[in-house]
Amino acid sequence: MKKVYVGFILMISIFVLAACGGQSDEPASADETNQQEETETTGEDQTSSESRVITHEMGETTITGDPKKIVALEFSYVDALASLGISPIGIADDNDENRIIEPIRDKIDDYTSVGTRKQPNLEVISSLEPDLIIADLKRHKDIYPQLEEIAPTIILGSLAADYQGILDGFEVIAQAVNQEEHGAEILELHKQKMEELRAQIPEDETRTVMPAVVASSGFYAHDDDSYTGSLLSSIGLTNAIQSGDERYNKINLEQVVEFNPDIMFHMVAGDETVVDEWADNSLYQDVSAVESDQVYQVDRNMWSRFRGLISSEQILEDAINHLYKN
Amino acid sequence: MQNKKGLYILITLGLVVLVLSVIGTGIGAVYIPPYEIISNLLGNDIGSNQLIIQNYRLPRIVIALLVGAGLSVSGAVLQGIIRNPLASPDVIGITKGAGLSAAIVIILFPKAPIFVLPVAAFLGAACIAILLYLLAYKNGVKPSTLSLVGIALGAICHAGIQYLMVKFPLEVNAALVWLTGSLWGKSWDDVWLLLPWILILLPVTIIMAVKLDILNLGDDVAEGLGERVEVMRMVLLFIAVGLAGSSVAIVGSLGFVGLIAPHIARRLVGNKHHLLLPVSALLGMVLVLIADMLARGLMPPVEIPAGIFTAVIGAPYFLYLLRKMQSTP
Repeated sequence: MKKVYVGFILMISIFVLAACGGQSDEPASADETNQQEETETTGEDQTSSESRVITHEMGETTITGDPKKIVALEFSYVDALASLGISPIGIADDNDENRIIEPIRDKIDDYTSVGTRKQPNLEVISSLEPDLIIADLKRHKDIYPQLEEIAPTIILGSLAADYQGILDGFEVIAQAVNQEEHGAEILELHKQKMEELRAQIPEDETRTVMPAVVASSGFYAHDDDSYTGSLLSSIGLTNAIQSGDERYNKINLEQVVEFNPDIMFHMVAGDETVVDEWADNSLYQDVSAVESDQVYQVDRNMWSRFRGLISSEQILEDAINHLYKN
Repeated sequence: MQNKKGLYILITLGLVVLVLSVIGTGIGAVYIPPYEIISNLLGNDIGSNQLIIQNYRLPRIVIALLVGAGLSVSGAVLQGIIRNPLASPDVIGITKGAGLSAAIVIILFPKAPIFVLPVAAFLGAACIAILLYLLAYKNGVKPSTLSLVGIALGAICHAGIQYLMVKFPLEVNAALVWLTGSLWGKSWDDVWLLLPWILILLPVTIIMAVKLDILNLGDDVAEGLGERVEVMRMVLLFIAVGLAGSSVAIVGSLGFVGLIAPHIARRLVGNKHHLLLPVSALLGMVLVLIADMLARGLMPPVEIPAGIFTAVIGAPYFLYLLRKMQSTP
């Protein structure tokens, strides 16, 4: 019997020893890489020695020089980088290139997929040896220390941001990549473009809109505080859901009827959605948008996933085409 | 005779764990052959793969070992004190309690500092355990009451989680990874958080193995043998909570390990806890190691939550076990 214990205790100690052995190696190797990084950065220092302190959601990060190898863990940041004329080396694209909307795919070079936005692959990110990582507060907060170990990391709101939040994030990204002035110019151009688009909306537009992701699991209306909702209302399209305590309300048919939107934009996810089930329901047919044939199917990647400057312009063009050009 | 067989099983399982750990270290977005890993573990520099091994793979392997042992021994202890083979940290509400408080932190306090999440999860598990004991206590705690109250508490917590998920569909993303259980993004810091718990509680549990055997004889016999049944049950319950709570705090509610590992162990070495506990621990390690290997290696660079695999391996095996138990009473 004693032997069993001895055996077991031996085994546990082997693991612990192995673990500690691994650990005792680790600081050494980390030091080495630090030294390498230091020599590298001193090498770069000769070209641009300026370093900036970027304030973001998780505190402050010091960034030296012009980051060139950037990993983007949300599509918003890809949009921001593409607007600034930078091509990220790594994107958390959910392992599906087609999620990158075309106008942006045209602007960026080939990149390496670092897996899903939900659980981006740290091994791949570190193998890319980036000099800047841009991550999302909601999704990546818990791996912030690990990301910081790989490269300077800034954490912004993308998933939970509204249109203004996205613009603010863009400015931070422009600072981080040392293009603050260029960024301000681009933002100015973007605002002009938005004004032009707004001018195409008739003054007397009073109809209410409801953008929504429609999936088999439910109908997710984006209210006035959401990114898509706030974007549409910035050019004068009133959201059917003005006040809600959540930005993406999962609502049922009765609630759709109650909000009674005059226009609906459906971001369709999957082949079969709840709307297919509702189609024959007389309640649904009484919804103002359905009655007046103002239900438009739009691209979910562009309308909901990207949340950036380029995609904002695309969404509004898309909306105006649907509403006023036919 | 029995002991000899037990010893062989222990040694075999130990070797399996060792081999899986080495092979597992090699699996992920970049494949690293076992000889390079061994060479690196012995202290040799192997170049670019070294960083991946040291920073990402090894901590996950160690956490898989610790969590596997923690959850399965917790399950074995709970099955012992409740005297019901269906007991496990999942079933009596401990992981659900951790899950609810983790979901509250993730969803309602997105800006909370990083260390809050594991602490909150552990406290959630502890609260449920205390509530469980208080609610089940009536002139002592009956094993059956304990499990029923646990199931009820678990259901309440589950309802809370569901409510949060329906109410805040946007925030569900981050919470879901935690609720499925995943070793993604774990580092040495997590190892140091978890290690003391397992290192202290595991040997204590094994020392108390005899007490579990005595409890299994029934309360009357145990009392006849001079044991203070109530005190013992409470101590063991809180050890089980400590093991499961600390594990879940780090990796999220990884299901089924605490249920299945002790079951397989029982089939292999019978009901004597001095063997059952270590064998459960090793089997738990094997389960979590395999699950995390699949999580990393099945479709890189995509990471799949390991909890999906423990459920996929676990649930069918459990059904098989149930059928087998029916045919051989």
